[in-house]
Amino acid sequence: MPARNRIRTLFALSAATVLMLAACKGAEPQNLLVLEWSGYEAEDFWTDFKTANADAPVTFEFGISDADILAKMEAGSQADLFHFYSGWQQFYVDGGLVQEIDTSKLTNWDKVPDSFKEQGRVNGKQYFLPWDWGFSSILYNTDEVPEVTSWDALLNADYADHISMWNDGPAAVTVSSYIHGWDETAITADQLAQIEQEWIAQKPLNAFYWSGEYEDLCPAVQDGTVWVAYAWQGCYAAALYEGVPVAYADPAEGRNSWIGFYGISSKSDSYELALKFLDAKLADLTMSNVVNLFYYGAANQDVMNAIEDEVLIEAFGINDPSILENTNFTPPVTADQRSAWTEMWARVQAE
Amino acid sequence: MLGRRGTLPLLVGPPLVWLALLFVAPLILIVAFSLRPESGVVNAADPWNPSLVQYGKVLGTPAFLRLLGVSAVMALGIAVAATILAYPLAYFLAFRARTRATLFLALLLVPFAASYLLRIMAWKLVLGPAGAVNSLLSSAGLISEPLDLLLYSRGAVVITLVYVWIPFAALPILASLQRIERSQLEAAADLGAGPWTRFRRVTLPLSLPGTLAAFFMVFIPTIGEYVTPTLIGGTGGIMYGNLIQDFFGRAGNWPLGAALAMVMLILTVVGVLIALRAVDLRRVAP
Repeated sequence: MPARNRIRTLFALSAATVLMLAACKGAEPQNLLVLEWSGYEAEDFWTDFKTANADAPVTFEFGISDADILAKMEAGSQADLFHFYSGWQQFYVDGGLVQEIDTSKLTNWDKVPDSFKEQGRVNGKQYFLPWDWGFSSILYNTDEVPEVTSWDALLNADYADHISMWNDGPAAVTVSSYIHGWDETAITADQLAQIEQEWIAQKPLNAFYWSGEYEDLCPAVQDGTVWVAYAWQGCYAAALYEGVPVAYADPAEGRNSWIGFYGISSKSDSYELALKFLDAKLADLTMSNVVNLFYYGAANQDVMNAIEDEVLIEAFGINDPSILENTNFTPPVTADQRSAWTEMWARVQAE
Repeated sequence: MLGRRGTLPLLVGPPLVWLALLFVAPLILIVAFSLRPESGVVNAADPWNPSLVQYGKVLGTPAFLRLLGVSAVMALGIAVAATILAYPLAYFLAFRARTRATLFLALLLVPFAASYLLRIMAWKLVLGPAGAVNSLLSSAGLISEPLDLLLYSRGAVVITLVYVWIPFAALPILASLQRIERSQLEAAADLGAGPWTRFRRVTLPLSLPGTLAAFFMVFIPTIGEYVTPTLIGGTGGIMYGNLIQDFFGRAGNWPLGAALAMVMLILTVVGVLIALRAVDLRRVAP
């Protein structure tokens, strides 16, 4: 090969290499980091993505509360996706921490009920993907406690040493708001002071405040330590499967309901892969696993419609057409309200 | 070869760097957070306007201070109990075990092979309504209903933490007992001192540095303890550390959590310094 040709070939190869490197640099990374709650990293809960994208590694970091997850995102977490629950949507949008989801690229989006989609919309944009949901109500042992018709069962001294409240200030405020008929988004300082005194008086009635549903609460319900508890329906289903005589109250004030959401971080440079992940999270097998393994509701309505298990039908109130009419959906509250409520709860704990 | 001047930085440098990175720097961050006026989730990059607001909240909340006092008393009781119970163990290993000392020392360290959480969960099984203690008392006909106070109480936290700390406390006591020259005990015996006098006048004073080290090794971490109270303390067994953990975790209110932590740290350091001054080791240590 003449020297000039060799130089041309060398030049062409160099140019091709530079172009390839540039292309690679511009391409999206094919890996994801998800800021999750412990337990959801199990492959069962992202199995459809794993099957379709075996070569795209997914790693997880964990938060222990909604506040913790928001704090991690605020502190500059490198997570591409994050998972949080009702009431925190606005903080992510206001903080510029989330990017809009292009739902036209989600093949399973049509399986999500409009009411759920609406909950993930802020300022007219679909920032969040609804994924899991459930109720909060009173779980009680029917051998020890007559029918519970009000949230005030949690404050009933007849069940002293056998009550378990969730260790969460905002939840305590929510319960008190229901009992008193107050608007929880407009709690005054006087009302908060009254709530504090009521929960201080309630404190000795508890066996313990629970933090982990399946770690703390469910075993204590099943072994008879706890008769009356603030609980999600997952613990109810777990107790029913174990043959424990329990019921899940329909309080006159209404149950509470919550939804879990995923958001794509505004800093993520794996947007397309994150969309694939979200789409797969809504796929039938993944969502069925949420229902069958965690006993949580799924945002995929096809999966919910296919439930035949009697325990799950009971746990989700599927046969009760009026269940949602008497349900209070967790409203958004301000950062100042949350701080005041968590500080109130710390004072209750310290007493 | 390195001279003495070159060896010292080489020996001291790595641990100092390690401490600076993993202790001093985080401590400075905690101080900085405690001086932020905001409540709730804070971005460290946000402008920093130092304020004592959080300290005002801590010191102005009697319930927080009461819980700190309760936690200090619990830590004191646990440290005293663990040290007293560890002393005979260490004494046995140092003076009586002889050729089997290594075997017994290994047995003493066996609990460390299991995870801390696992050991606490085991206590939950032992103390629970259907646990070993209640079953035993019930089958002996001593109780008709399970005793609730065994679990989810301050007593449960104390019992469990004393158990957890005994092997830790025994190690510094053992080290100080092993350093005692046997000739000193022989001299005391030659001078007519009986076993109790020898222990009281020779062994105990000479082992005091290790005994005090054991006490502080237990007291200092216990005052900020939160895992054991969370798992088995119930609402009555909550300690000050639980508040700190809650504000850093669940509540996401790092500034107030940092102020709570700093108040505890300052009071603990002051308390330890006063205690060390009261017990002048130079007078009793060899």
